[in-house]
Amino acid sequence: MSVRSNRIVRQTLTIARRDFVATVFTPTFLLFLLSPIIMLSFGLVGAGGATSMATNAADKAQIVAIVAPERQAAMRATDARLRKLFGRSDQPPVLTFETPGTTPATQARAVFAGAGPDTTAALYGDLAAPTILYGAQGRGDSRYLAELSEGTLRAAASGARPLSAATFTPIARERASSGGHSQAAFFSVFGIFFLSLLLSGQAVGTMAEERNNKVIEILAAAVPLEAVFFGKLLGMFGSAVLFVGFWGTLASQLTAILPASMAGGLGEIGPAIGLPLFVPLFFAYFAMAYMLLGAVFLGVGAQATTPRELQMLSLPITIVQVLMFSLALRAAGGADNWVTRFAEIFPFSSPFAMAAHAANFPHVWPHLLALAWQALWVGIAITIGARAFRRGVLQSGSGSWFKRRVATVGEALSGTPTP
Amino acid sequence: MTNAFAIHATGLVKNFGGKRVVDGVDVAVPRGAIYGVLGPNGAGKTTTLRMLLGIIEPDGGHRTLLGHTHPRDASDRVGYLPEERGLYPGMRARDAIAFMGALRGLDLKAGRKRAVTLMEGAGLGHAADTRIRKLSKGMAQFVQLLGSVVHQPELLVLDEPFSGLDPVNQERLETLILAERDRGATIVMSTHVMAHAERLCDRLTIIAGGRHRFEGTVAEARGLLPMRAHYVPDRDEPGLAAYLPDGAVHQRDGWHFPVPDGGVEAALRRLIDGGHGIAGLSIERPGLHDAFVRIVGASALDATQEISA
Ligand SMILES: Nc1ncnc2c1ncn2[C@@H]1O[C@H](COP(=O)(O)OP(=O)(O)OP(=O)(O)O)[C@@H](O)[C@H]1O
Ligand SMILES: [Mg+2]
Repeated sequence: MSVRSNRIVRQTLTIARRDFVATVFTPTFLLFLLSPIIMLSFGLVGAGGATSMATNAADKAQIVAIVAPERQAAMRATDARLRKLFGRSDQPPVLTFETPGTTPATQARAVFAGAGPDTTAALYGDLAAPTILYGAQGRGDSRYLAELSEGTLRAAASGARPLSAATFTPIARERASSGGHSQAAFFSVFGIFFLSLLLSGQAVGTMAEERNNKVIEILAAAVPLEAVFFGKLLGMFGSAVLFVGFWGTLASQLTAILPASMAGGLGEIGPAIGLPLFVPLFFAYFAMAYMLLGAVFLGVGAQATTPRELQMLSLPITIVQVLMFSLALRAAGGADNWVTRFAEIFPFSSPFAMAAHAANFPHVWPHLLALAWQALWVGIAITIGARAFRRGVLQSGSGSWFKRRVATVGEALSGTPTP
Repeated sequence: MTNAFAIHATGLVKNFGGKRVVDGVDVAVPRGAIYGVLGPNGAGKTTTLRMLLGIIEPDGGHRTLLGHTHPRDASDRVGYLPEERGLYPGMRARDAIAFMGALRGLDLKAGRKRAVTLMEGAGLGHAADTRIRKLSKGMAQFVQLLGSVVHQPELLVLDEPFSGLDPVNQERLETLILAERDRGATIVMSTHVMAHAERLCDRLTIIAGGRHRFEGTVAEARGLLPMRAHYVPDRDEPGLAAYLPDGAVHQRDGWHFPVPDGGVEAALRRLIDGGHGIAGLSIERPGLHDAFVRIVGASALDATQEISA
């Protein structure tokens, strides 16, 4: 390495180190570290609310069978057997019996109007040819009642004794299922998106800090702005690695703690390319996404002189970012169509989409290509970002805000490279 | 040639948004000198210094810094105090100085150690572990100044180093600048305060309106103006002006006039022959202040002609 590049590496690391220390040893970082818990608990509260609403609704519903008393016991036994097919959360409503009166048809209609639990479906008439009435939510329940009468008749014909005895053994898959691939793809896209957005937001924050401190000129005098820029990205990246390391360790321990049946389910979530390759790829794509986004945020952030301006400017970037995210999510489904291809090639969605690709498909070579392509764009983004940064940060002249920004961006795009 | 100069720049030009802010400035700073960059507000001093250091790129002209055409190649041997002071408020004074040294290639640990020595030397030893946000503005500025010398640079560039300091700290700063020069450093400083420039600078350049107006020693600058005579008559009479050279003005303390080419003798003879006594007479070199006003004022009148020593 030449003296010059040696020095730049050293300066970059000095700045990265300062930023890392200044970020990590603050109470805010703890909040940042624990933010997934906060988000998770919000998620759980939300989901809990939804399920409890659903359960309450099921508790308040019933299906009604208007059959002769001598048939009722057999039918109840069949009901008990059939219910085993349903999971806890999608059980049919409780079955209640009524003894048929003189006009069962009228009686059945009356059940829907009666007070008490809502009736979703009601059956009357001969079991060999029953009539089943059902309400707006009761289509599935009406089919269940039909199956119930069929089952009751079959049991009567062949005897109630079971004809078979099955043995159940749960197994964990050796390899991830293809559904698991998509899930891994989804988690990768989401993880990279979440992390890079959170971090580049922080990068913008430190940018604002730097401007307020006016430290930037000391840095700019000693260090090429590209190195300042890169140092800041790197410092932030360090805190990201800490974050990922923390949660990665927790997650890997989670499989050990969870009951075997659930851990087995988690084991099915896995990348098609294999975990040993996927982990470095995930990191590489995360780094690319982060650098791209960080460069844009830093470059734009340098144009703002107040936190207000900063917010104003970061909103459109965030919106574009969310667009990229949804694009990459479509690609995460693993469908081989133009949306996927586009998401994989377009520089700002490429890191997300390619991480999803690694989860969905086993080929290695597209990743080498993609990483080179993204590195090129990271280079472009950093160069343009650093120029905008240089112009924005060292500006002390007057003039309207808008005119200055337009001039800045114009100069940044057309400016001559600096040694 | 370049080796005799710490900084050598010719014809520096900078435009901002179509406006020419620096227009052909030359700077030649001999090694080991204390060099002043003088000029009124908005003259382009800060912009010139930034170009010399490579913080911004000139739009025209040529420069070498410690023998390098890329100023950054010399960055480890340069110290800089920007006009807009700034430090990380959360850092301790000692760490801030060490951080600035580290940017210029000094090992962090060595930097911390030297920082304490420097602070003690400047009478700020008690504040070494204080966070920047708890220091007074002047103290923070001094800390930043120490940060710009902690790596013992060959070239020290100070933009308005005296502004914001009380007289005691200005004195400390002068001592520090002289000590740096004695260590062998070259010092370039911009200032508005003529007294400092007069006391400290070996050479200076004056720019106004982005243009180079003067380059030379303090004595040469003062030499641009004729000596001035201060004459106190034994009794004040109207019509005295007729005996005095052109440009004589009457003030409360007597008459002032520029010393004519042949000296004051002819005027004195006329006074004595006319029967006027002499209660006091002194001949003074005009100060840098007057020279500055003259140079800058002249440049405002005649923006195309350069005054040279
Ligand atoms: N980044 C910039 N963008 C636009 N104009 C600028 C920029 N920096 C300086 N200027 C303009 O250039 C001119 C010279 O500014 P400069 O700061 O170099 O003057 P100065 O001699 O240091 O003044 P002072 O004594 O007030 O510090 C001013 O008119 C200023 O408005
Ligand atoms: Mg200035």
